[in-house]
Amino acid sequence: MVKRDCKLSISENEAETNINENGKRRIDDPKKEGKKRIKNLYRQPTAKELNRLQETENLFNSNLFRLQIDEVLQEVKVKEKTDKRFIEWFTNLKTHLLTIADDEQEYILSEKTLAKHLKVKLPISPKLSKTKAIFKFFKFHDIDIVGSYALNNSINSKLIVDVLITVPACTYTKNDSINYRYHQKRAAYLAYIASHLRSSDLIEDLKYSYSDSISKPFLILKPSGKLGNSLSVKIDLCCEEDAYKLHRFSPSRNNLRDAWYFGGEDTSDVGTPTPYYNCSVLADLTAKLNHEFLTQTLKNCENLKQAIVLLKIWARQRGLRVNGYILSMLVSYLVQLKRINNIMSSYQIVRNVWIYLKTSDWDTNGVTLNKLEGSPQLEEFAGTFPVVFLDKTGFYNICWNMDKGTYNSLRRESSLAVDMLDNPKLNSFIPLFMVTLDPLMQFEYILRFKNLNTIKELVYQKVSKDNKLNYGIDDLSLIITSLHSLMSKGLQDRVHLILPLVEANFSWPVKMALDKAQHDFKEKLSFGFVMNPENALNLVDRGPPANLPEAEQFRLFWGDKSELRRFQDGSITEACVWSASSVAQRRTISSQIVDYLLNLKYGIAQSELCHVCDDLGSVTSLRGAGGVAGEELSLKVVQTFDTLRRDLRGLTQLPLDVTAVYGTSPVFSYCDPVPPAAATSAPDPTCWRRASTCLIKESNDRPVLPEYTPVNEAVIELSHSGKWPGEINAFRCLKAAFHLQIAERLNKQYGLVTQAYPQHLDVMKDGLVFRLRVFHPKEVTLMKRQVDGGVVKIRETQESEDFQWSSVELPRIRGALHALHQKYPSYGPAACLLKRWLSCQLLSPPHVPDSAAELLAAAVFLQPAPLQPPVTPTTAFLRILKMLVEKDWKNDVLVLDFNDELSCEDLFELEKSAKAEGGEECGLRIVTSLGRAGRGLCGRVLRRLVRVAAAALALVRDRVEGEGDVMGVFVPSYRGFDALIHVHGSLVPHQAERLDALPRVPRPREPCDVIPVVDLHPLRRYLHELRNAYGEWAVFFHDEYGGDVIAVLWDPRVHDTRELQVNSASALKPVMVDGEMKYRVNLDALLEDFRVMGEGLVRDVVVNC
Amino acid sequence: MKTKYVHDFKVLELRIKEDSVNPHTIYFKEHSVRDHTKDQPSGRTLFILNVPPYADEKGIANAFSNAGIIESVQFSTKPNAAVAVLNQFIKEILNPSFKMCYLVFKKVSDLDKALTLSELNPMNSNGHHISVGLKKWTKEYNDSVLMPKDLKSYIDTYMKNYDENVAKALDKDKNLEQEDDEGWITVTKKGKVNSFARTEKVENKILAKEEKKRGRKELKNFYTFQIRESKMKHIVALRQKFEEDKCKIAQIKQSRRFKPF
Repeated sequence: MVKRDCKLSISENEAETNINENGKRRIDDPKKEGKKRIKNLYRQPTAKELNRLQETENLFNSNLFRLQIDEVLQEVKVKEKTDKRFIEWFTNLKTHLLTIADDEQEYILSEKTLAKHLKVKLPISPKLSKTKAIFKFFKFHDIDIVGSYALNNSINSKLIVDVLITVPACTYTKNDSINYRYHQKRAAYLAYIASHLRSSDLIEDLKYSYSDSISKPFLILKPSGKLGNSLSVKIDLCCEEDAYKLHRFSPSRNNLRDAWYFGGEDTSDVGTPTPYYNCSVLADLTAKLNHEFLTQTLKNCENLKQAIVLLKIWARQRGLRVNGYILSMLVSYLVQLKRINNIMSSYQIVRNVWIYLKTSDWDTNGVTLNKLEGSPQLEEFAGTFPVVFLDKTGFYNICWNMDKGTYNSLRRESSLAVDMLDNPKLNSFIPLFMVTLDPLMQFEYILRFKNLNTIKELVYQKVSKDNKLNYGIDDLSLIITSLHSLMSKGLQDRVHLILPLVEANFSWPVKMALDKAQHDFKEKLSFGFVMNPENALNLVDRGPPANLPEAEQFRLFWGDKSELRRFQDGSITEACVWSASSVAQRRTISSQIVDYLLNLKYGIAQSELCHVCDDLGSVTSLRGAGGVAGEELSLKVVQTFDTLRRDLRGLTQLPLDVTAVYGTSPVFSYCDPVPPAAATSAPDPTCWRRASTCLIKESNDRPVLPEYTPVNEAVIELSHSGKWPGEINAFRCLKAAFHLQIAERLNKQYGLVTQAYPQHLDVMKDGLVFRLRVFHPKEVTLMKRQVDGGVVKIRETQESEDFQWSSVELPRIRGALHALHQKYPSYGPAACLLKRWLSCQLLSPPHVPDSAAELLAAAVFLQPAPLQPPVTPTTAFLRILKMLVEKDWKNDVLVLDFNDELSCEDLFELEKSAKAEGGEECGLRIVTSLGRAGRGLCGRVLRRLVRVAAAALALVRDRVEGEGDVMGVFVPSYRGFDALIHVHGSLVPHQAERLDALPRVPRPREPCDVIPVVDLHPLRRYLHELRNAYGEWAVFFHDEYGGDVIAVLWDPRVHDTRELQVNSASALKPVMVDGEMKYRVNLDALLEDFRVMGEGLVRDVVVNC
Repeated sequence: MKTKYVHDFKVLELRIKEDSVNPHTIYFKEHSVRDHTKDQPSGRTLFILNVPPYADEKGIANAFSNAGIIESVQFSTKPNAAVAVLNQFIKEILNPSFKMCYLVFKKVSDLDKALTLSELNPMNSNGHHISVGLKKWTKEYNDSVLMPKDLKSYIDTYMKNYDENVAKALDKDKNLEQEDDEGWITVTKKGKVNSFARTEKVENKILAKEEKKRGRKELKNFYTFQIRESKMKHIVALRQKFEEDKCKIAQIKQSRRFKPF
């Protein structure tokens, strides 16, 4: 009804614009433009243009890709105005900084004298201030802009300009390299600068911050004036290269003494190596050299810079904790390897970088930029760091702070990116650079720690002493590494990726001490898991055979959970068995394992953990059937249907054989949220019987209906015959005869209970009722046939289109969706979730047709880019919501390519034709490779849908962040409607499936010999009649699954006065307006009509004022 | 009750029950068109507008029972709509909607009387109760279930009828082929002279064939200008693609899709 209204309004608009005076101009314009364009197209090509056209073919993926790259680069470029302002501001800052004077006074850093003198706090952890160190301030001379801004590959948004101040070597003494004394002095130096800057009016806001390591703070300043809105400046310290010899910080050297760190006897023991600590000093020592190297490599190389910008955008969109510095270094490394050069286009460079990353193995072998002798061997690093990428000197590991999860994720994303580029059917630009991935979509399972500090303590107690020493005061890195390795060992091949998600960056005012600032700030740590669909649902983890020595290790790792088991193949191995009774529970096995391991290894209680894992899975379990998962019931129906199909093919003594049977009901692709259960029989007392079907007893006192039994519809194809009559009625008559005969044969041959109707036949098998319908393509042709002026013409009508959809395209799509579910077992439940959600938001069919909902759900499996197909229904559901919200439905058409059977050209054509067909006001458009996709959504419904989807996503995000019931997404709201029609709850089908209903145990099943009353859905009938009769004035909303309220919304136009015409006199009543006779829609009478039409069903009609 | 005239329609309220509070208003007048059909005779037919969806023939008859004896009641959704083709194998179920009605009285005087009525009887009177809601759906369901032998006999009679009709039509065709009194012979599909089927498909096929024939006579790659043109066409195709992509970009730009963050 909504649709019809929409169309009406379009045609009206068009009519108006045509009649308008500028209609004339409108007709003229395109002609002129067209001529001009043709002239342009045929003009003599210039060399430059030819070059560009050819270049695009060779160097870029496609025209579109190139243009998009150009656009995005333009978009993220730093504005000229900002540039100018910054240079000016920076010169001032530099002069101001250089006015700083040497300070002859010596300060003892373990006391507070310096802080008092400077009037700012030192940005250092109190753990370090116990060391005695004497600090004297020597003036610096070098202030340089480094990093992305200096290299001219920065990104406009959240721009931070790196400024590096070189601390004179004389600040540090020879012994300062150990026991964090270097860091302490560094912090003091920073505080000195901060104190000098504090009074400057160039700066609006001055804060300390740290990013990688808590021991290495820096200053973040916000320039005053307008400049502050577009960028901030980071002042970091580095050290003159000659301060220390680099080999003092080789990975095998110890610079953090046992005695100092753990307290206790001051022995002369040097202790275990501390490569992590060493790198924190090396970063400063090598900073200048590496920056020079980068400048050298990237000088005058625009394409390389563009590629780096693209890579940065890509990494940021994926939330990868890989900074621009590492990416620039990586590009330089590949230039050094001669795998890329500046002659390549930015697209080619990016592609090559991805291909390199995809196959790289920095976690096992490591790479180095250094080509000179005299630096430590790569192997030394490989054992001590999770990821190894050495700088120009060969001492400093650029990735010293990167954990393995991040590297794995980088590698995985690269390989996905290459796949996307290689897929010619995908316009890969948008998913690669434009789509922001958020953890909720990316990970099937997120583990969140409620209180990180308790976790830290618990884990810290159990890690080895060497590790503690190595990581020093950076306990977060230590914990991430330990937990990551534990979980990757425990989950093995159940997961593709475990990524730590850290929110630890924070900044604090210079006047506040670090421990105080930290008190208010809570670091957040969670882990995201991408499941491996093949193994994630395994119930058993098999270990090594019991007689091998590995078995002992396995037992040690798993503790009591490990038990000796004999398997069907005869092997006897150690194994862990996890408990799960349904598929939905099996989807959460990983969280079970994590729970167990964390408790076993670190004693972390379950209450400390928060699992975000398939939270909505429970929606699809059936309350009316004692909480059985919907998938299992669907499976039963599909299996029964398969045997029935076999029976049908085996039928004898029919004039034509049955060649094929196709299911069309949603249940055949596992998409029915309430799949039919086998009928409970013992003939209903409210029924009579005719032939082999129940009839409804009419009772006068109380409205009672037998329980709703749905039918499973299917289409039968018969073998070919040329004898079908050429007249539609005779054709249908013959079809009825076939129904009768098939019913009879099924009964005789297999003893099935059957009932034939003119348009279909019902068969009961194993308590399930199937509705079969003979189909022959000739019927469609006959329906389309029209005789016009003696010529037979084939014209589509609404009726023929609907018929063709339900008999030809729907069975095909149903088959494809069934296959999709076989491939991705979470498809069915995801579609069910979506349907239930739509229904809860009162957008049940016909607002959003079943087929549209199913195809929308299929879209996230068929076009998962930039992600992999989802593994749990909840993730799939959330991704559908996100797609609904983010896709630009005005310009985009959803093209679903089942089985990869469309070529690029086909895709393009389909998209084009769908666009042309829909016109401007059209809402959501779907096309498939299997033909038309049924009805789409009209604009009004789509707008509403997008809005509720956005609200639902926000609610779920809140839930992941903190508390709140995610089920709130499924609570319908009846506010804002004009009237509510309440119906008798006892007559509403699926009443037991309401989300607030308690699970109940179904009645026991008995074999029965009579088909129950099927497919009598009083609410659907009522709504159908209402929409037909009153759709012109009102829209009706209803929750399909147990809702006992129908919401009514008047069309805004019903309040207008209008004229009486013979063709449009419906529902009008005369009213006097200003003494004139006018007409208005008789709303009161309509409300009474609702009551009349639903006699026996409607309890009350309430009008909202 | 007040009686009003609008244009030339008379306005009255039509209630379903005696105690209906908010009835619909119906508009009626004498049905007068140039050509009266047999079922809507001139002078005796009342034309009614805005009949509510649930009203049935008996109900309308009840409403006007005070005017006189009613011969027939016909509903229609459009004025002067042609009567639907009969003899369909599957009877179409009409969805309830607002409709028009032609009411035929037995006598001309009854019509005049109807036009002077000041009040209509409720539709549910004289022992009639309009079937709506649950009762209607139950009845429809029960009626749809047929005994197999009933269905069989229905099919058999229908097919027999159809076969007879087809045979008759065939006979008629055959007879046409005979020379008539003035010596004319009508050529039909079935006759000795083969004529093509007059369908759209066949016509399109013939046109396409002609087009192809014409195309074959032309040389495409012979003259220098043709070769030059084909090269130009290649560039034009490239350009066109470029232009199209540019348009696409502009479109995306408009929807502000190039802000990555």
